[in-house]
Amino acid sequence: MAEPRSWRDGAVRLTTLPLIAIFGAFFLVPLVMTAVLSFQGTQYYRLVWTWDLKIWRDVFSQWHYWSIMLRTLSMACICTALCILIALPVAYALVTRLKDWADHVTLLIVFAFLTDAVLKTFGWVLFLDRSGVLNGMLEGLGFGKAALDVLFSPFATMIGMVYSLLPYAIFTIALSMARIDRDLVLAAYDSGASRWRTLREVTLPLARPGIVAGAVLVFVLSLGVFLEPRVMGGGTSPMAAELIRQSFETRVNWPLGAALTLVVIVIGALSLALFGGLALGAGRRARA
Amino acid sequence: MSDPIIEARGIQKYYGDYHALKQVSLSVAAGEFLALVGPSGCGKTSLLKILAGFEAPSGGTLTIQGQDMAGVPAAGRPTRMVFQKLALFPHKTVAENIAFPLTVARRPADAIRAAVTEMLEMMHLKEAYLHRYPHELSGGEQQRVALARAMVSKPPVLLLDEPMSALDARLKKSLQAELKHLHRNVGTSFVHVTHDLEEAMMLADRICVMRAGEVVQIGSPHDIYYRPAEAFVAGFIGDTNLLPAQLTREGEGWRFDCPLLKTERPFIGPDQAAANLSDGPGLLMIRPELLRILSPADAAECVIEGVVSEHFVRGGSVQYRVQAKGAVIVLDLPGTMVLPARNGDPVRLGCARSDLFAMRG
Repeated sequence: MAEPRSWRDGAVRLTTLPLIAIFGAFFLVPLVMTAVLSFQGTQYYRLVWTWDLKIWRDVFSQWHYWSIMLRTLSMACICTALCILIALPVAYALVTRLKDWADHVTLLIVFAFLTDAVLKTFGWVLFLDRSGVLNGMLEGLGFGKAALDVLFSPFATMIGMVYSLLPYAIFTIALSMARIDRDLVLAAYDSGASRWRTLREVTLPLARPGIVAGAVLVFVLSLGVFLEPRVMGGGTSPMAAELIRQSFETRVNWPLGAALTLVVIVIGALSLALFGGLALGAGRRARA
Repeated sequence: MSDPIIEARGIQKYYGDYHALKQVSLSVAAGEFLALVGPSGCGKTSLLKILAGFEAPSGGTLTIQGQDMAGVPAAGRPTRMVFQKLALFPHKTVAENIAFPLTVARRPADAIRAAVTEMLEMMHLKEAYLHRYPHELSGGEQQRVALARAMVSKPPVLLLDEPMSALDARLKKSLQAELKHLHRNVGTSFVHVTHDLEEAMMLADRICVMRAGEVVQIGSPHDIYYRPAEAFVAGFIGDTNLLPAQLTREGEGWRFDCPLLKTERPFIGPDQAAANLSDGPGLLMIRPELLRILSPADAAECVIEGVVSEHFVRGGSVQYRVQAKGAVIVLDLPGTMVLPARNGDPVRLGCARSDLFAMRG
């Protein structure tokens, strides 16, 4: 590792200046503006500088907001759990059994990943629609008309969220699994451990930093989804991002939108700190 | 020799088109220490992986403890391996690492604890290390932990894949001595892969020299050193003198015609020639420590005349390099207060006929 350099070093200060400038201008300043905005009020769709806690009282006293935040949080948790559960076997297969095909499979995942979100989401709508591809196939198989009517429900939202966020989990986990020394796995087999035991005792613990990183990514990103609840969930069960968008655009209540934004940011930051602590603990133990 | 614990017959291994092992056959007796040596790429590590069950042979049969190993996975074999890079689990403590083979075998906790304590003593590891992680130990200590993990379940066969190649010379020497000591105490068969023939000679009961996927020679360290099957084996360890000679079979033994070597009776017995020797040009080998410098009054069965070109004092011994008709002869003499010759001195070197060994050129 390079020698740690002092902040007194002029060159260090100079070279970090652009980063600090960008970080300040595009992250800190908007954040402070958002915070300032949340203490103002509106009248006739106009911003009024009131400097009071009215908006915050509204946000915390109305069950409507609580329920949306809780729904967002629980959807994010479920989405994270599902993504990790699906990504684990996929990533494991990618670095072990499918090793020779890993490039091809990765390319397919990247294709799906880079396709425009709107296209993908409407694709799902066509697929899940009452008279869509899935139900057409099920009908052909003799399950009757509209056998699986899931579109425009939280269930459909979840399908869309998992689908669009899964690659983040797969790639981070596969990356950390690929870095595990093959000899450690062989050493476990050699000691008489079964495949399952080796997976539990060697592969998974050593892939833990990647699993935690994947979970953080998916969780934070799933707090901010708006396309899936709107297009696939049909807007019947909105989530935080949709609520914020409405506050700014439809209701033109900027202070309310700002306050809700801060709530989501705080939830995200808190869970990030929690996950980060977990990852750090795992990293400290796994360092060889 | 008792019944072999490992019996490999005609083991083949292909990696794609690459023929890594060509019809390798060998057997290891119970309690024997066998070293597999050879230059890199000779197939010794492939053979070890096949013994461990990490790779399946492309052909041939392998039995361990009388049981055919075809289709038996590594986890089901009576072998344990010490890996080149040790492969200690970085997320487990030393105690958990050592206990791992017993934990997966679901042994009772107190039996595991007793076995770990026993291994700790055997490997001269401190009790305080038990709750540390591998990266908190020194290289030599990690080595011992790896050995302890491999030996804790008292396996009939221990496979070692150059585990000492990364250590510095002094640590290596002391660990080699301990390994030998361990082997004598436990009665486990050791198969030790190394590219260091000196290490193999020090440790092994028998040495198997390999080259390009084939076994060149299997024999005791003494045989490998003084009765090498080929110039390749002779040159693998230490200095040696290989003199070109014409060899002709005469009765049981061999007659030789070597212009460098003056002798009354150019004849060697049947046990002084490699098994595959045939009539024609060949090589006569004399190890450097078998030669001596003759004083004018001395006589010897075989004599080489030449001029000292260089000499090196190496502590307890002196090495001379002697020019003889264009060839360089190397000899090692025990150190003396007065050196018998200096650079530029003409010398007569002598040895007994029984010190010669003939092999194919």
